[in-house]
Amino acid sequence: MKTTATLLTASAIALALPVAAYAQTEVNIVAFAPGFAWADMFGPSGTDKTDKLRAFEEANDIVVNIEFADEETARQKVLLDLVNKTGTYDLVMLGSDGAVQTFSYAGYLEPLDDLLPTATQYFDADAVYPQFLEANRVNDQLWALPYYSFGAGVIYRKDIFDRYGIAEFPATTAELEDALATIKAGLEADGVDDMFTLTMRGAPGEEPSLDLSGFVYAYAGYPAWFEGGATTPEAIREADAKPIFTGDFREGFETFVNWSREYGPDGIATHTWVDMMNLYGAGQAVVLMPSAINGFAALGGTEDENVAQHTAFAPSPAGPSGEPVQSFWTFSIGVSAYSDNKEEAFKTLAFLTGEQAMQGFAESIGWPYSTFPSITRGEVLTAKWPAEMLDQIEASYDQANPQYFPYIPELNAFMERIGTAASEAIAGSKTVDEALEELQAWAEDRMERAGYYE
Amino acid sequence: MRPPGRQNTALSVLRIGFLGAVLVFVIFPLVWLAIASLKTRAAALAVPPTVIFTPDFAAYEKIVASGLLDAFLNSFTIAITNVLLSLLIGVPAAYALARMRGALQENLSFWVLSIRLAPLFAVILPLYVLFQQLGLLDTRLAVSLAHLTLTLPLSVWLLMTYFRAMPLDLDEAAMLDGAKPWQTLLMVIVPVARPMIASVAVIVFIFSWNEFLLAFFLTSRDAQTVPVVVAGLAGTMSFDWPLIAAISICSMIPALIFVGFAQRHIVEGLASGAVK
Amino acid sequence: MTLDWRFWFLIPMIMALATVILFPTAYLFWMSTQHWLVTDPDRYFAGLDNFLRLLGGSDFWQALRVTGAYLALSTILMLGLGMGLALTFARAGSGVMRAIVVMPLVIPPVVAGFTWRFLLNGEIGFIGAFLLPMTGLDVNLLAEPRAALVSVVIADVWSRTPFMFLIFLAALQSIPRDYYEAARMDGANPFHEFFFVTLPMLRGALFVAVLFRLVDAINTFELIFVMTRGGPGRATQILSIFGWRTAFQELDFGQAAALGVVMLAICLTAAMLVFRQFVKGDPGTTGT
Repeated sequence: MKTTATLLTASAIALALPVAAYAQTEVNIVAFAPGFAWADMFGPSGTDKTDKLRAFEEANDIVVNIEFADEETARQKVLLDLVNKTGTYDLVMLGSDGAVQTFSYAGYLEPLDDLLPTATQYFDADAVYPQFLEANRVNDQLWALPYYSFGAGVIYRKDIFDRYGIAEFPATTAELEDALATIKAGLEADGVDDMFTLTMRGAPGEEPSLDLSGFVYAYAGYPAWFEGGATTPEAIREADAKPIFTGDFREGFETFVNWSREYGPDGIATHTWVDMMNLYGAGQAVVLMPSAINGFAALGGTEDENVAQHTAFAPSPAGPSGEPVQSFWTFSIGVSAYSDNKEEAFKTLAFLTGEQAMQGFAESIGWPYSTFPSITRGEVLTAKWPAEMLDQIEASYDQANPQYFPYIPELNAFMERIGTAASEAIAGSKTVDEALEELQAWAEDRMERAGYYE
Repeated sequence: MRPPGRQNTALSVLRIGFLGAVLVFVIFPLVWLAIASLKTRAAALAVPPTVIFTPDFAAYEKIVASGLLDAFLNSFTIAITNVLLSLLIGVPAAYALARMRGALQENLSFWVLSIRLAPLFAVILPLYVLFQQLGLLDTRLAVSLAHLTLTLPLSVWLLMTYFRAMPLDLDEAAMLDGAKPWQTLLMVIVPVARPMIASVAVIVFIFSWNEFLLAFFLTSRDAQTVPVVVAGLAGTMSFDWPLIAAISICSMIPALIFVGFAQRHIVEGLASGAVK
Repeated sequence: MTLDWRFWFLIPMIMALATVILFPTAYLFWMSTQHWLVTDPDRYFAGLDNFLRLLGGSDFWQALRVTGAYLALSTILMLGLGMGLALTFARAGSGVMRAIVVMPLVIPPVVAGFTWRFLLNGEIGFIGAFLLPMTGLDVNLLAEPRAALVSVVIADVWSRTPFMFLIFLAALQSIPRDYYEAARMDGANPFHEFFFVTLPMLRGALFVAVLFRLVDAINTFELIFVMTRGGPGRATQILSIFGWRTAFQELDFGQAAALGVVMLAICLTAAMLVFRQFVKGDPGTTGT
């Protein structure tokens, strides 16, 4: 009996041992959305390499290994890998709403400015909308290249707006609020109880923070997180700028919360972007804003004819300050500072975010967003979308201020806290003022601790 | 034990009602999930629910393509390795503890038990560093070893209480015949304790099979377990409920088969010692 | 005298546990004394700063309250349900029924979480969006703070009760029958039997069950996370989710480690109390 047990153990341990690695320049990537991101490279399952990718691998003697995980998961993997200086991943998924800022300041990323000239055949920085690079620039250096990216906008149901006599999508937040009230009253009067006027996201954590910051920017007219609108560590230090979450931040925050409560679905306090997308796609929401890309994602998967036929796009409405509600994000990827093959990693990155790859994205996904003007104006997208809409989308990039929130190392933590505060206020477990006071106290403490005000 | 029937009609009705309610509570979510896995996305989200629909197997086709099958192999290997390690290390330790007396024994056994109480999220970072140093990240072995934090104290504790309930005469007789302690353990104790060992094996298997957090942090590509893959697939681009439902259903099948015949062992094993 | 054989039998276990537990725990204690923010390149000794900050802020107490409520509610329900099932199955019910009742035990909690989220969701869920509105109750089960806590408890009860049930069933089967016969001779009715024979005999099982529950509840993470992400707001943010957020979202490793130490202390104290109560008070219950 003992021998059997030993044998079993031995074989089990042998089975559990890692597969030996082969010797070639390998570039390991972690990202999210298999079958969606780079569907033209890794196939619909996210695991098969297409000829396009193989051609790149052969030409450069590189083996590209991609690991897909869901967004939250991928973020954790990146964090653990970088914090422990493991270097498992050569290319790491970042996102311009926290990770780029936090990890670049922490020294976990490789600056890309000097690497850009080494792979111009794949990625020509001059051919990209400058705002998408700007969003990944921290401390005057470029840290990541953008894959799919978007600006602010609204997706809405033209048929419902028409039904209640609103011919044009409102250009300001004040008018929009009136329109939302009209539609809500109309839906109620008509006994429609499975349709919500507005869908946004209010789950605890960083989910709501990007859009919410866009509201704050539109209401205050500047990134109202710190006194004087300071957005860099240097500016905060120099001016001794304290957080102002109970000050100018408040109005935009309150509007976001009130709209969510008043016009949003009942479950909004736990909704993530996937929920808002699903609701819109299922025909249960009239307006989706301000990250219209989620609306386009909903359109791609909808089985509801009304949604497919009657959806329209509108530019993001302007707030009292005259600035539009922002929502600007890039799914960006950087080179790990602990990678052993930084040049090959960058070459791969340039290939995966370059014009050819984005063209593939436009062909397989077809969203009206691209990082290259040549693709927005190219055959695929102009055939699919009305020219006016593409103009409006390009205009939204021009109106965007990628730094509509501060670019500080603590951004991740702030995004996390702001979103949770919003979720609490939306759920009604705290009032707007209580939530903001708590946020303010936390922020002061955190900044103090990081040594800003010495 | 069975009381006479007369006064108990009310009690039996209560019992049947209770049992029925629990069965509905347990089964309904699973049935609903199974149904949802066969619907199209729109039908799965419809309120009121669509009752009559043509089954759609698209979700299951996606699963075959998604690598979940590898995850089954990983989960299974990890759980079995973990069971073997837990028993190989746990049986002698539990026996030694069972044959000790006094404060040392009490403290040692409480220490073993208390180890289970460390919050997982807090030991993840050190464990990650440890396995990184050992070069074991993203291997099945790493996950098996990490699961020992949960399963080894558990098996030691269960086996210890069981061994302690066994009459000492057994060991003494063997020792008198000149048997060494390990011979006594292998030849005398283990054969008698077989039902209990089987039951511990089943429990350990279940714990390892279900565990998410450690498996999640320690694996990335090659060694992902079923719960990790389920969590990963569920969060991607769109919340594809039929797909999630189908994955969930599939993730249950192997374990259900396993528990179908093993649950009897759990009860027998527990009954013969641990909870007396 | 050379080292006792027992020592050699214990060594593999001690070494294994030392590697996977003692080292991480020691590391945890060390981390808890560090000013260690991922966003701050300076890492230095901070004494008790992390602890003072943790205990001085409101987040910890909020998470502790949620954990307490969650633990109490789920434990009562699980023990009651598990005990009820065990008593029922001791007298009725087939093997097939028992297998069905035990099924959730082998369903990973992450799957259980998705399952219940799917059922309770207020827009598309069969219970949340269809059954509940028919009863006239207008509450969003996952997005109203109190309802959300109850919702995650229900999912947890569904997922973890079978284990309680098996423990109790095993214990019931090991109660000698003559105890009941003796009780009946004294004219006891079923309720007397339960309170004066069954319950006292179940002390050991209760101990094991409560202890398991404690450990399980402390480490519950994915079930709640997939259902509500700890929300709405912080309504279902139990300590483990709070710790995870502190470490991996706010990137404050020192503070998270301090929380880990505090949780360990709480659990140890609780376990010691339970241990005393059930084991030391009555040596007969451990099987000696």
